[in-house]
Amino acid sequence: MGNKRKAREVHSDDDEPAKTRTKTTVDGGKPQLLPSMIKNKEKRSALYAKLKHEKKTEKRKNAKAREALESRALELGEELPPKKIPRTIENTREADETVCKPDDEELFAGNDADEFSSVLNSERVPKVLMTTCRFNSTRGPALIKDLLTVIPNAVYYKRGTYDLKKIVDYANNKEFTSVIVVHTSRREPDALLVIGLPNGPTAHFKLSNLVLHKDLKNHGNPTGHKPELVLNNFTTRLGHRVGRLIQSLFPQDPEFRGRRVVTFHNQRDFIFFRHHRYIFESREDKKTNGKEKEEEVTEDGKRILRGKIIARLQECGPRFTLKLTSLQHGTFDTKGGEYEWVHKPEMDTSRRRFFL
Amino acid sequence: MPRTTTLETPGCPPLRAITFDVLGLIKVTEARSKQGGVAKVVERWGDPDASRCVLAASINDRKIDPLLAVARKSGVIELLSPVNGDLRLSLPTVHQTDVPSQDDNIAGLHLFKKQSSESSSRSCTLLTCTTKGLTTIRSVIIPKSPGESTCDDTPATWNVCNAGNVLCCKVDENENYCLFGGKGIEVNIWDLATHTKIWTAKSPPKNSLGIFTPTWFTSATFLSKDDHRKFVAGTNNHQVRLYDMSAQRRPVMSFDFRETPIKAVTEDADGNTIYIGNGSGDLASVDIRTGKLLGCFLGKCSGSIRSIARHPDHPVIASCGLDSYLRIWDIKSRQLLSAVFLKQHLTNVVFDSHFDDEEVADSLASLPPSEQKVDDEPVEGDEESPPVVKQKKKRSKSRSLDEDEEVTLSSKHKKTKKSQKLDGEKDGSHSTKGKKAKKSRNIDGDAEELSLGPEKSKVKSKDRKSKKSKKPKGETIDELVDGITEILNRKKDSKEMDTDFTRNEIINLRSKADRLRGVNLSGLDLSNLV
Repeated sequence: MGNKRKAREVHSDDDEPAKTRTKTTVDGGKPQLLPSMIKNKEKRSALYAKLKHEKKTEKRKNAKAREALESRALELGEELPPKKIPRTIENTREADETVCKPDDEELFAGNDADEFSSVLNSERVPKVLMTTCRFNSTRGPALIKDLLTVIPNAVYYKRGTYDLKKIVDYANNKEFTSVIVVHTSRREPDALLVIGLPNGPTAHFKLSNLVLHKDLKNHGNPTGHKPELVLNNFTTRLGHRVGRLIQSLFPQDPEFRGRRVVTFHNQRDFIFFRHHRYIFESREDKKTNGKEKEEEVTEDGKRILRGKIIARLQECGPRFTLKLTSLQHGTFDTKGGEYEWVHKPEMDTSRRRFFL
Repeated sequence: MPRTTTLETPGCPPLRAITFDVLGLIKVTEARSKQGGVAKVVERWGDPDASRCVLAASINDRKIDPLLAVARKSGVIELLSPVNGDLRLSLPTVHQTDVPSQDDNIAGLHLFKKQSSESSSRSCTLLTCTTKGLTTIRSVIIPKSPGESTCDDTPATWNVCNAGNVLCCKVDENENYCLFGGKGIEVNIWDLATHTKIWTAKSPPKNSLGIFTPTWFTSATFLSKDDHRKFVAGTNNHQVRLYDMSAQRRPVMSFDFRETPIKAVTEDADGNTIYIGNGSGDLASVDIRTGKLLGCFLGKCSGSIRSIARHPDHPVIASCGLDSYLRIWDIKSRQLLSAVFLKQHLTNVVFDSHFDDEEVADSLASLPPSEQKVDDEPVEGDEESPPVVKQKKKRSKSRSLDEDEEVTLSSKHKKTKKSQKLDGEKDGSHSTKGKKAKKSRNIDGDAEELSLGPEKSKVKSKDRKSKKSKKPKGETIDELVDGITEILNRKKDSKEMDTDFTRNEIINLRSKADRLRGVNLSGLDLSNLV
């Protein structure tokens, strides 16, 4: 506290009462001083450091108290105090009325009527045509090569100089169920176009963070089995539709023997693509020392795991992130297309608004 | 707490909008001033079925006995009551004799508002147009039960085009002309009386690069009510064109709007503003005299707009489309008033303009809840043939009762009371639960009403509305109405209508009803005067 200030306070007590009051807010009789009120930098920074230190100690004290409570509860065998859930952007997302509800009969009726129902009900076998944009370079075809291993029953066709509409017609005639176009710009794949056939929607994704199969460290080599598919967090009606579009690329009867899984994980409207092999193993505890046999072979030749079972993952195949930019009604038609959803800049006014 | 942006929706004036979707569901959305103008879905008619996808809809928005025509994907045209969704008539595919091809869907449907003079009030005239260009006008009599459909005369059928797909079909306000346009079809206008093509547009010249854009009209509308010569058409290559038949065959003016096809064009009542909606969800109003953009309707609308409807009374438009939202906008401020999520891709929206919630709300407020009268008829459409029969039978009876009342009940107080209760009844018909209320009504009502009760409960919207409109009126209006009545009486002999109501009565009712909306004679059928 500067003497100068005090002196001024005393001095200008009667003519500037308002000014002094702003500087010292009376909070239960205790004057509180904010660092921003002090003009002298040395004193201001000193006060700031003091306040910060107080804050830190209080935080540490709280954490210690919580820890003590927890350890006591553990000792006494009581229930642990409830853990606080951190506020994230996802769990404070804006309320969305389009989120699918499990008891919505209209939703199921709509599902039965939509373009993917024939594929998803295993009436048609998914068959995918893959192609690139007109001018492609190494990374584009490399991604396609990887995707061919991921998606069963996929065929690569050279793009040549064909129009995409002609390719769509061709694929329709050859009874493909989807067309995937990998778009490259500056020798880097940057967009993915998924077209449902014969009249399904066209989804346009932005593609980023691509890591190819060969660039992954310790990558596994997938077998040729039909993969399992994991679709996470496609909650809204739009997300549901996109999820069904993705689902229709893969066969509906996965071979669990292959132990390979393809994941599309949606988080904050970004769809993360991962491809893994997995294996169930029992954890090697230090007590067992690995001496005991962890696997038992039953009479019918099946191996049963004992102990605590964990799943180990090995990543294989490409890794990339998708972001939906538009979903178009009908097959690819940039000029006369009708959009079901387009990303518009005015939608980006809140960080907590998600569409998938 | 984190800051979240909330959509500010100031609420809309009381209105009632009916939307149609790809699963064949018809949903009624209402906004009432009492609840702050928040639009809500109040009713859903029909079961989800993709083959019943609604392709086109048209409403005859009259005060008495309104009708709603709906064209399904299966080729069936249904006539419904927009008040409670009762199926009045189901017409089979237009031409069974022709090859019923899968892709020959109905592209346009129009329910004529004016009555042909010789037919009774229960008949209605329909214009349908398929994508192949097969156009039919037929008038049907709404039967006593939905099972029997009767075409009273052979439908007039002609072909609008030889090739191409008809995408838009619009009948002008006086219902003498109809315009057709589509993919590969220049806009052409037909005289509906003689079934002849009277005008065809000419495609615009090649541009400076010598590139000719193929003809592809996606939407069209007549510009003003009393002039069929000016109309606006939207094309697939995002162009809006103004045509004037009296000036030239090429567009008088054309301008581009954004980059996706124009999917919906609707005119304003003032005759120079149009509303255009396109394939990526942009909605804008344009002054068509200058071609200047007045402004865009900004909201988080991201799906193609399939249909725009202008409310006849309030300064409000509704838009709907592939984003499954029904949005209601203010015209002046271009602000979003309300958005309702309707779960399916919507194809059409219409307004039921004779929805008056203030009266309903007021009368409800004055009445104890037990006295709310409710229509006994269930709301669902398909199975309710017997009640419809009853209603038809009772109609004449109730009308006579109505006249009796006019003689006997001289005190205006009683009339108002009655009308209030009827309002309650009307309101009750919007809600599905209400049979209990009806019972209690019979008990609670005074003796006079008890005697009338059973018949009246069967009386449907027509009679309800007619009675409701018999409110005490100002004298000046009465004089005016008397004057009109006199004139009509003079002409009465020349044009006698075989209707359930005499024309006199209708005019009376209408003009009196108009009193409720301020002194406005626009609703009067003045065409009969000339």
